Amino acid sequence: MKKRNTLAAALLLSTMLVAGAAQAKSLVYCAEGSPENFTPAMNTTGTSLDAARPVFNKLVQFVPGTTNVEPGLAEKYDVSADGKTVTFHLRKGVKFHSGVNGFTPTRDLTAEDVIWSFARQSDKNHPYAKVSGGAFDYWSDMGMPDLVESVTKGDDDLTVIMKLKEPNAPILANLAMDFATIQSAEYADFLMKKGMPEQFDQMPVGTGPFIFVNYQKDAVIRFKANPDYFGGKPKIDDLIYAITPDATARYAKMQAGECQVMGYPNPADLAAMAKDDKIDLMKQAGLNIGYLAFNTKKPPFDNIKVREALTLAIDRDAILKEVYQGSGIKAKNLIPPTIWSYDDATPDYSYDPEKAKALLKEAGVTTLDTDLWYMPVQRPYNPNGKRMAEMMQADLAKVGITAKLVTYEWGEYRKRLQAGEHQMGLLGWTGDNGDPDNFFFLLGCDGAREGGQNLSKWCNADFDADLKKARTLTDPAARTELYKKMQAIARKEIPQLTIAHSTVFEPVSKKVTGYKISPLGAHEFYNVDITE
Amino acid sequence: MLKFLLRRAALTLPTFFALMFVTFVMIRLVPGDPIEVRRGERGISPERLAELRHAMGLDQPIWKQFLDYVWALIHGDFGTSIISKTPVAQEFLTLFPATVELSLCAMLFAVIIGIPAGIFAAVRRGSVYDQTLMGIALTGYSMPIFWWGLILILVMSNTLHLTPVSGRIDLIKYYFPPVTGFMLIDSLLSDQKGAFWDAVHHLILPTIVLGTVPLAVIARMTRSSMLEVLEEDYVRTARAKGLSTWRVVGLHALRNALIPVVTSIGLQVGTLLAGAVLTETIFSWPGVGSWLIHAIFRRDYPALQGGIMLIAIVVIIINLLLDLLSGFINPRIRHGR
Repeated sequence: MKKRNTLAAALLLSTMLVAGAAQAKSLVYCAEGSPENFTPAMNTTGTSLDAARPVFNKLVQFVPGTTNVEPGLAEKYDVSADGKTVTFHLRKGVKFHSGVNGFTPTRDLTAEDVIWSFARQSDKNHPYAKVSGGAFDYWSDMGMPDLVESVTKGDDDLTVIMKLKEPNAPILANLAMDFATIQSAEYADFLMKKGMPEQFDQMPVGTGPFIFVNYQKDAVIRFKANPDYFGGKPKIDDLIYAITPDATARYAKMQAGECQVMGYPNPADLAAMAKDDKIDLMKQAGLNIGYLAFNTKKPPFDNIKVREALTLAIDRDAILKEVYQGSGIKAKNLIPPTIWSYDDATPDYSYDPEKAKALLKEAGVTTLDTDLWYMPVQRPYNPNGKRMAEMMQADLAKVGITAKLVTYEWGEYRKRLQAGEHQMGLLGWTGDNGDPDNFFFLLGCDGAREGGQNLSKWCNADFDADLKKARTLTDPAARTELYKKMQAIARKEIPQLTIAHSTVFEPVSKKVTGYKISPLGAHEFYNVDITE
Repeated sequence: MLKFLLRRAALTLPTFFALMFVTFVMIRLVPGDPIEVRRGERGISPERLAELRHAMGLDQPIWKQFLDYVWALIHGDFGTSIISKTPVAQEFLTLFPATVELSLCAMLFAVIIGIPAGIFAAVRRGSVYDQTLMGIALTGYSMPIFWWGLILILVMSNTLHLTPVSGRIDLIKYYFPPVTGFMLIDSLLSDQKGAFWDAVHHLILPTIVLGTVPLAVIARMTRSSMLEVLEEDYVRTARAKGLSTWRVVGLHALRNALIPVVTSIGLQVGTLLAGAVLTETIFSWPGVGSWLIHAIFRRDYPALQGGIMLIAIVVIIINLLLDLLSGFINPRIRHGR
């Protein structure tokens, strides 16, 4: 008996040793803030979307590191000839996470879950429509209510048919965005029966590569690898988000090895990071644009010659050096070069104060007192609005234009710009889905109304017709042709001065492999591995 | 004693209501409302803005909003956070233990070092020790918390590798669900070997940073109060009786010298909570300080208002307790003389 005990102990010990040798791989991501909740459809901040992403999938998804769309939960999809029906064929045997919040799924993913997820956002009578505040901003921002006619089940449980009111090419890119995440209808029922529906948005159950373990507010979010993930088990076992709001503290944690990936570095730390031999400072051209809008409704900005003169009078190279500190590229088009249909052949305007003076004279403008609005906050596409405005003010003074600098509190600033109170105003845009339409709509006629997002209040019939037509086409080549035409129109008409596309930096530990910067600002860890 | 307690409590009520009103109006005077701040570049249509403002009651006149708030508060409802949609009191209770843990440690650090340092400086008045100690105290008092925190991280964590950079525990090595919210207690309850010491390790830097200003104040306060007491007749009498210096100082003088120090510790509670806002941000400490900062940035009115009221309650209670403690040390206060 005693001998058997000894044997058992020896066996146990050796098992423990083996287990110790194959130690769990943990990756710590220093996140910049706490999520609002874990339902992507209700969030607009990158911080909240990052926190929910490991748990979920969408019908289609972005290929990591790009803005190209690939199949996700739908293994394939077909678009009807008239472009108004998209049929999604779901993968078979996709499992929802088991054991989170006492929930054990009894079935795999079906069309029911897809329909449920979209209905929650579109149907005001949906049982979960009002749970957790029920604001589905992205759904309405991406124009889904005007676009989607119905989402229904097809011939079998694994077919979903989405009918559109009109053909729309960007729809697939939209559906790859986080708001189109597919959640479990069965889990929702389970919580509703328990009388705790709000937990649905706090303790997420999805199909994704990582299973939610625990969230301690303002401190940590823990996930573990999903062994049943349809794409295969992730390479890391534990994914930990250490919530670290201060950028300098995040970098200090990277240096001390307390985290392996961090977002949003402090620009002042970039030089030190580049020299750090433990850190790989990854960078990519950001999917953004910083611009100066000329209000074409207000004279003399209704005159193309004046707009051209202003464009020539401003030294953007100096701005890139001084304001972006070299971490940006000069913009000649509204869309950044990483987006398909970018026209590299567009000639850029170069700094020429003499020609600017001549143009102003031609336009009959001898003296011009104007305003120049700058945003009070730092944005990804503009690190320092005030400094930029001051530099522009000095440049304009050289050609005889007196610009008064104006700013307001951030919310107020945008509201007044959209109302068209400005003559010239700085703003920018960060893309959502990599589709050119997601940038060009900024210059469409719909946004030129008071309160609209077209800050130049510029409405060009040709541009707008092409913008609308391109949405209805599915052939990327045909769309590209239209977008190139639109870039040429914008180049000629100059409703805005495109300033720069800023560069995005992400420090990653050299122990980490397989990490890719997302042009969409997402932080993803499925393909990531870590070496000791 | 009960009369004393009731009198003190009655005095705090007007303070509480005045604070509630001022906070309520002040946070609404800050430009930008929660909805606009949330929207970013995307903008919002005037109709949708009006709809959302109506849903949150922000379209009501301020006096009406205030009365609604007071009504809810009387019923024990501190409101619901606009951002996370969780009840403010619940969020506060989740995060408050972390702040209490850090503040207690910082106060303990300040008292344990500050009082002896002050006594020593007073006894050796005018000596090199006195001047050095008071010089250090003045420097400590003038130290900007943010800068001090970052310097300590740079030196202690990144250069000497003596302490962790931030957080409350090593996230890879230890995992246990929170029971009390106090990491020192939870780590002991968890049975995970080394967890407690790791939690202590994580407390060192934030404790020093948060405790520095109170430490300086307490040291200087103890010194000046001690100097005053040492001049008193009864101290001279005690000396004349031939008692040893340490018996005179430690027994006869200290008890009287401590009265203003205890009061100043009470006043430091407010300083500690203000310091916690910065300290928690630098050290990623999940307490109410960093929570309030976020509430300000995102104009989360209910969280901000509720958080401030709850903190006010805590400060008022602590000051009440310290008043009682002073009454205990000095019976003259107790009897209103």
